[in-house]
Amino acid sequence: MQLRINGRTREVSAEPHESLLTTLRERLALTGTKLACDRGECGACTVLHNGDAVYSCITLTRACEGDEITTIEGMATDGALHPLQQAFVTADAVQCGFCTPGQLLSAYALLARNATPDATAISEAMSGNLCRCGTYPKIVQAIQRAAEAMRAGDA
Amino acid sequence: MSTPAAAGKGAGVQRFVSTVVEVEGRSETKIVEMPDFEPAPWDESATLTIVGQRVPRVDAREKVTGRARFTTDIQRPGMLHAAIVRATIASGRVTAIDPSGALQLTGVLDVISSADLPHPIKAGGAPLFLPAVSYAGQPIAAVCAESREAALAGAAAVRLTYEAAPFVLTFEQATAPGAPVVRGTSNVRRGSPVEVTRGDAARGLADAHVVITREYRTPCVLHTPLEPHSAVAEWEDDRLTIWESTQGIFMVRDQVAMELRLAKSKVRVIKDYMGGGFGAKNHAGPHTFIAALFARRTGHPVRCVLERDEEQTDAGNRPSTRQVVTLGATRDGRLTVIDATCEVPLGAGGWEGGPAAFYREMYSCPNVRTVETFVHVNTPAMMAFRAPGHVEGAFALERAMDVLAGALGMDPLALRLVNFSERDEEKQREYSSNRLRQCYDEGAARFGWADREARRQGATAPHIRRGFGLAAQVWGAGGGPPAYATVRLNSDATVDVLSGTQDLGTGARTVLAQIAAEALGARLADVRVILGDTERTPYAGNSWGSMTTASVGPAVRSGAMEAQQRLLQAASQMMECHPEDLVAHDSIISTRDNARQMSFAEVTTKLGNVMIMGHGSRGPNPENVGLMSFGVQFAEVEVD
Repeated sequence: MQLRINGRTREVSAEPHESLLTTLRERLALTGTKLACDRGECGACTVLHNGDAVYSCITLTRACEGDEITTIEGMATDGALHPLQQAFVTADAVQCGFCTPGQLLSAYALLARNATPDATAISEAMSGNLCRCGTYPKIVQAIQRAAEAMRAGDA
Repeated sequence: MSTPAAAGKGAGVQRFVSTVVEVEGRSETKIVEMPDFEPAPWDESATLTIVGQRVPRVDAREKVTGRARFTTDIQRPGMLHAAIVRATIASGRVTAIDPSGALQLTGVLDVISSADLPHPIKAGGAPLFLPAVSYAGQPIAAVCAESREAALAGAAAVRLTYEAAPFVLTFEQATAPGAPVVRGTSNVRRGSPVEVTRGDAARGLADAHVVITREYRTPCVLHTPLEPHSAVAEWEDDRLTIWESTQGIFMVRDQVAMELRLAKSKVRVIKDYMGGGFGAKNHAGPHTFIAALFARRTGHPVRCVLERDEEQTDAGNRPSTRQVVTLGATRDGRLTVIDATCEVPLGAGGWEGGPAAFYREMYSCPNVRTVETFVHVNTPAMMAFRAPGHVEGAFALERAMDVLAGALGMDPLALRLVNFSERDEEKQREYSSNRLRQCYDEGAARFGWADREARRQGATAPHIRRGFGLAAQVWGAGGGPPAYATVRLNSDATVDVLSGTQDLGTGARTVLAQIAAEALGARLADVRVILGDTERTPYAGNSWGSMTTASVGPAVRSGAMEAQQRLLQAASQMMECHPEDLVAHDSIISTRDNARQMSFAEVTTKLGNVMIMGHGSRGPNPENVGLMSFGVQFAEVEVD
């Protein structure tokens, strides 16, 4: 079957019960998407599926045939960080970094549908991504900074 | 312990000396080497341009791009996967293990249990695959398969038969007459409570004008680092390499070598990026040994990653406590007595990480008595968890101080200032430094403590109440030897710092890069910190007990300063001047009058492959001085 991953068509074989997380990590070596709870609770495995943030650990690969998948590896373009990535660096919204790829993709999906989220909207949209180091306030700041930077970039 | 004979450089100088090293309140005497080169500490007069600055984490870019490789991301050619079969009873005995259901499944290759061990192996303090069950979740067997899914399915298909026995889950059950014994001869650890006294508690009570008693309970708390406990093991002949998500690569190496009966030099432990630990990843665990055993049996690399529920049931916890606190004070708020009785159910294993030390360390008080009773119960063992014991103790004592302030009609902050401890009364010694007063002053000013009554009225709705509080903390954090670092200037003028420490996500890489850049006079962007490899980086201890910066930082600093000395010597020959006339800053060497300059790159280009290196080691701490950290937190909370 074919998947469109980060803008490229990839030919993969996947078991009927195989999760998108397993396909990405074990078959395509895209290990930026993290395996943590493996049961749709923590958000470390978040990827974009046709632009929506989904938990790849509870998404079946076979259900994604032909669809657009974006992983953390597809977020920077030609080595230039996406404004969200840059904002996470600048605001120090990263400690151990294990949850970070998932946080970034959830934030990406949020900003795609709401360019001017307030802190409440950010907290709500990010509630499916856990951080055990406790960087939540800085994640909110980083997303607000990135939103500003992206609006300035569009203007 | 006798002081070993001097093998020193100069007459009368002892190179190796005994010293006391403290970790989380526990003391240990160690032999340490006096560093060749021990520069004076940077004090407040030092001009620092990189240390102390807010800089982006040096590894942030790797983390936001997904390039940072964690242990769970390690993939080796032909790698297999392991899963653990766990007991589903809390107490009793496994009478039969039937692996046939697992071995029938596609992809399942091997099942092991206690009968398959080459010899008894201790994993995380308990014998691996012990058929005598002391808690639900205890590892009994393990399955190896071609995929993680198959390994998990195989683990679910192994049939265990038990003889179940009565069990105890709470402190009250464990100490009831006739209670079943979890291990040894008594559920009370070491047979009796631990009592520590200073002065005379009864006298302190008699001297008090105001006495309050309160009971506090704190719940069991789980670490749940986002990256589960995980290991990848691979053998090459008789050499074993383990990638492990750990706070202590050398501790894992030593435990694996001892339990698998290998020379330490045959075991290499690697940890690059790590998704948190919080105290639960200090040791080689069952998953480590299971990966190593299967790798040996199958001839393939094997990865073992705990599932989330295993992470929560058998990967450590902060134990619950019950604390009964009595405080007595004179009318002006001086504490005359602190008396605490604490009960801690540790689980089936664990150690005495209790709340009592906090009661003895936090305040000045002539009469202190703490009694802690640690019991074993049929639940998973506790593990160190971010200031073990102190968090629980701080919660109870600091709440009791607020109650006492109320009884005295005093401001809670004023009560704490009255009882500020000028010296370490617990160990009867001076502090190296204690800035708790500045914490109180600065915190109160920034928080607006004095205005809180006015703000109390500012609740946003009638059904909402607003409250204010503060709590102080004390914690040992001085670090200590041994810890080593090598600092090398590469031929392209970049700098490598090598040390066998770990970055748990705390920022150790960034801090050590800042120290090296500052001490060497290099640009921060040119410094790379290479950690976490027992074979390729020199020894550093576990990243626990707030020790890493204070232990490894000085080693990096003296290594970088030694490298700078050599660099300036080389440059002085090229610039035809004295090394003492040269300074280094921003990767540029200049004469003190700034008349002539050479960049690091110009020097290293001329040197070719002649390397500039410095080796640093952590010297002993000053004797009989309390190296403690202090803090205060203020909170404003609305309750609906």
